[in-house]
Amino acid sequence: MTSRVKTAMPLANWDIFCAVVDNYGDIGVTWRLAKQLTNEYPISVTLWVDDLTSFSHILPSLDPELTSQVHYGVKINLWSHPLPVSFNCPDVIIEAFACNLPDDVVQIMYDQHQAFKKNLSNIKAPVWLNLEYLSAESWVEGCHGLPSMQNNGLKKHFYFPGFTEKTGGLICEKGTLDRRKVWQSHLHYRMQLFDKLGLKDIASSDTVISVFSYETPALLALCNLWIQSKKPIHALIPKGRSLNCLQPLLPCSIEELKPGQQIKHGELTLHILPMTDQQGFDELLWSCDFNIVRGEDSFLRAQWAAKPFIWHIYPQEDDYHLIKLDAFLNLYCSDLSENTAHFYQKLNISFNTGNQEDTHKAWESLTCNMPELNKNAKQWPINTLNDTDLASRLVQFVKNS
Amino acid sequence: MKTAHEVRPGNVIMLDGNPWVVLKTETSRSGRNAAVVKLKLKNVLLDSTTETSFKGEDKLDVIVLDRLDCTYSYFADPMYVFMDEEFNQYDVEAENLGDAAAYITDGMEDVCQVTFYEEKAISVELPIIVTREVTYTEPSARGDTSGKVMKPATIAGGSTLSVADFVKTGDMIEIDTRTNEFKKRV
Repeated sequence: MTSRVKTAMPLANWDIFCAVVDNYGDIGVTWRLAKQLTNEYPISVTLWVDDLTSFSHILPSLDPELTSQVHYGVKINLWSHPLPVSFNCPDVIIEAFACNLPDDVVQIMYDQHQAFKKNLSNIKAPVWLNLEYLSAESWVEGCHGLPSMQNNGLKKHFYFPGFTEKTGGLICEKGTLDRRKVWQSHLHYRMQLFDKLGLKDIASSDTVISVFSYETPALLALCNLWIQSKKPIHALIPKGRSLNCLQPLLPCSIEELKPGQQIKHGELTLHILPMTDQQGFDELLWSCDFNIVRGEDSFLRAQWAAKPFIWHIYPQEDDYHLIKLDAFLNLYCSDLSENTAHFYQKLNISFNTGNQEDTHKAWESLTCNMPELNKNAKQWPINTLNDTDLASRLVQFVKNS
Repeated sequence: MKTAHEVRPGNVIMLDGNPWVVLKTETSRSGRNAAVVKLKLKNVLLDSTTETSFKGEDKLDVIVLDRLDCTYSYFADPMYVFMDEEFNQYDVEAENLGDAAAYITDGMEDVCQVTFYEEKAISVELPIIVTREVTYTEPSARGDTSGKVMKPATIAGGSTLSVADFVKTGDMIEIDTRTNEFKKRV
């Protein structure tokens, strides 16, 4: 009798397809996942990306002109039509964030499925996963892991990251929290990082806030408030969308700004940040007193940084993103006092809705609640991660599929 | 072909060579405006049920089977009995009605479509809009009127949905059976 089990190392080759939509979010998550699977498991990962130029901003050693290259053990291929590099059917295939796989890739999977069904091959079709967006909404539990039956007989599974045991977990590389803890217990690391990034005149007692948001007038309201602060505040901002709403505070056009440039208004100093890789970004979040983050990847890294943060969530039609924000805030604030939870939620919601007055009031109200927010921020990653990160749950899910 | 977003209870879809009756649909918003549609399906041939998910824009093969315009007649547990213009009666298993069962009430006059597979009635599709009486809802919560204020209401047949704050017990309301959403007071 022919064995129907593949004899090579099981589930050793994984391909991840990623379509870059918003510069760093999708590719940020898939790149972290690809690296983690390669580093922590006996898995060979090929990452197909349709925009290598955007990718190169978070992986500076990437050559956008090459169609195939290897970084950190991950093979990175350009995803164009047709595929510039031959596609070898892997054991697991992931379409990240509902991107549609190329037709010829689906055809190859189908051919393999048919050959297996007809006993012409002992190799099954790949485990096919749709890695979805992160959400704290309760419906995610009901959809996580569900099969998606395709017309051609192939089966795809929906894989939902999430905050509860019934979801796919959250991306967090082994040792991340320990490294962060060590970093934050040695204050000179922070100052060394600021030096490395060309950020000058920051005293160790100053308040430092990182800003990586979309456009919102609420950011201008916060900056105007910080200008009148009683102690120095430094806002670290990369050249990007956050600056679009800060034009009244800038001495020149955004294009003319240079990394390392300082713009001082009262007690507030705006610092223009250079681009950094993911490790550098993590260290930046660990080093700031408060972080403003956006999208999905930086949102999660802000949680692992164990510092209070504002999440500027990606806007959706009919303001649906506010429902997602609300779902997260309800979880995140569950251990906070009523007063702190109220103002923290108000701060996040008003920042996302661009309400300058409410943002201003909520920030002021939270000033004396910062110790409680800090304590909650430290405990949150421990409670939420609960020893089961997304990659390990994903590997287990594939084994069970 | 219909997109997963357009499929509704009562449709029959072909998946891997098998006909499946759609019993329940749930649409959720994923990130970046993409939708995830969760379907509860019943295999017409095997009588087995399953839950499955699709992207909202995934194309599904909705098969056109024999269909007849019918009206609801009576319930003979576990069968719902429907009748066509010529007074022929057709039994449909309660389970096969899925979410549509929430809108089946005695005396309803809505014209439904009964679907047949190999001469057996297998599902019922309701009109897109049905009118039902609100049997109970709390009085409106005055003072909290910013934005679109909704409140729960029970309708004839016993199911609940969110209705506009101005709706009162005894009102007749229009409901979209595809989404189970309140449309307007009539």
